[in-house]
Amino acid sequence: MSENTLTNTELKKKDIKLKISVYIVSILLTLMILWPIIMMLVDNFTSEVTIVPGPYGTYQEQSKTVYFMTQHPFRDFAKNWTRFARDHQGLFVGLKNSLIVTVPSTIFTLYFSALTAYAITAYEWKLKKVFDKFIIVVMMIPNTISTVGFYQLVYKYGLVNRLSMLILPAIAAPMTVFFMRMYLQATFSMEIVESARLDGAGEFRIFNQIILPMLKPAIATQAIFAFVTNWTNSYVPHIILLDAEVMTLPLIGGYTIWFSYASFIPPIIVYALCSKHIVEGVALGSVKN
Amino acid sequence: MSKNNLTKRYTKWGYIFVLPFVIAFLVFHFRPLINTFYYAFCYLKHAGNTNPEFLPSIGQPLFKNFKEIFSAVSFRDALINTFFFFIASAVPEWLLAFWLAATITDRRLKIKGRTLFKTAFFFPKLVQGTTVSVGGHLLSSIATFVSLTAVALAMDGFGIEFEDLEFFMSVRFFIIILTVFMHFGITFIYVIAGITGIPVEVFEAAEIDGANRIQTFFRVTIPCMKPMLFFITVVSVVDGLGMNEIPSYFGAYDTLRRNLTLMIYLNNQAFMGSYAYDKASAASLILLSMFVAIAAVVYYFLLYDKDEARLKKLQRAERKAMKKGA
Repeated sequence: MSENTLTNTELKKKDIKLKISVYIVSILLTLMILWPIIMMLVDNFTSEVTIVPGPYGTYQEQSKTVYFMTQHPFRDFAKNWTRFARDHQGLFVGLKNSLIVTVPSTIFTLYFSALTAYAITAYEWKLKKVFDKFIIVVMMIPNTISTVGFYQLVYKYGLVNRLSMLILPAIAAPMTVFFMRMYLQATFSMEIVESARLDGAGEFRIFNQIILPMLKPAIATQAIFAFVTNWTNSYVPHIILLDAEVMTLPLIGGYTIWFSYASFIPPIIVYALCSKHIVEGVALGSVKN
Repeated sequence: MSKNNLTKRYTKWGYIFVLPFVIAFLVFHFRPLINTFYYAFCYLKHAGNTNPEFLPSIGQPLFKNFKEIFSAVSFRDALINTFFFFIASAVPEWLLAFWLAATITDRRLKIKGRTLFKTAFFFPKLVQGTTVSVGGHLLSSIATFVSLTAVALAMDGFGIEFEDLEFFMSVRFFIIILTVFMHFGITFIYVIAGITGIPVEVFEAAEIDGANRIQTFFRVTIPCMKPMLFFITVVSVVDGLGMNEIPSYFGAYDTLRRNLTLMIYLNNQAFMGSYAYDKASAASLILLSMFVAIAAVVYYFLLYDKDEARLKKLQRAERKAMKKGA
């Protein structure tokens, strides 16, 4: 490869300069991004100290709570945990509700988006082109626009405090459909489907056993985004979830250290599971022509 | 003929497969949207009120809600703030993401650790639920940096006064920084996915023809990743104009409305205290029209195929001529 490219020394020098600058910028960015997260984790090993105002009200009017790292970080960790387990029963309820909402809605989003994208790519039906344009149009309309209408709908039919009202809308996710369609168009070939048909496979079976594995990179990418979006969603839930028993994690909120653990460990697990398959080149397909 | 029959036999599956999407869309997205349109021309106030009254039927002007919104100072501030935050955070984010992605994926440079960087950049999105604590640490470190710079400048001068740095200590600057911090990884991942989706042969051909990096980027990379570029733009616009979480961390009752965005305005109108659903609907319509306008411009520049449109026009004209001839 290097024989037929430019071997000019000046160009090489420029390359090295660029290379060094890219490394410096990326490493600096990485440090900048990871620093606050590391600091947040360090918070767990701190001890709570309350600063009480002096006898003459010198420093501040109110008492102030600060966190210090002491000589016994692990003892403080244990102390923090015990105090948390005593005080924050609600957090477990929130965790449970969040899982009930997030896991099904993520699965719905991925499965039905893949199904829709497949229908647009593989079959010849009359409204196909119109539907394709329609997806692009509705993709630009975020759900938050119609919050008032959604709220009125939920109130009218007495569906307040139902977690299903957060799960079912996830079936229609135009942005995910657009992404999957983009990926499928690059990798799809009708021959696979036709040969499967010749072997006697039904349409649903073809989709589940051939198309879904083919879509794996796109699904992995969108799984992370869908999971995180649903997990941290607080705008719609704060309107329709009013009782404490059905509140999701972002609604319960709280500034405790353990709340932060509960809210970021599940997304990290999903990322760890999916990152291997994340889209690395939309051109990777199962049949090359 | 048998081939035609075969394709016809499978046509129904196309309809069956899009059915769940269409039903869910009509019930949970389309109907609320239509209702929002209707409520914008109704009287609908007070908490839990589900009985809209059409404005002309109760003797009010049709565009009353819109008029009220446009005459409110807070709406104007929210509009200005939203666009300010959107542009100020999207421009540096895009420049950095495209530059980094283009150089990191460059085959000639052979940069290692791409996966590591990608994971690191994406991490803030994963811990998004804890923005309160992560953001606090981020802001404190930035504030320390800024104040140290300020002290250094104050000692040495350079013609820069302390007041010039005021912006870097303000809420707006922190909102921009936090937004870039949260959103950079998403843009970066999508840009990398778009660039690696381009066949290697295209870059090789450009290289052999003697194109330098900048030419390759603007003449090869960007035109080849147009659909992905459109997707990234839409994500960016939807997230940028719809931002409400990060600004709302900085307090709900800022009397100077420094952190008021359109989404917060909408939320305040509908659900936090005012319960003016009609005004909120009108505000969402205005927001919607902005989304559509921006997206239409982007669509025209990125996805609209001018040659294909011209071809279709010619074909149509030909068909007409044929019909006339017949």
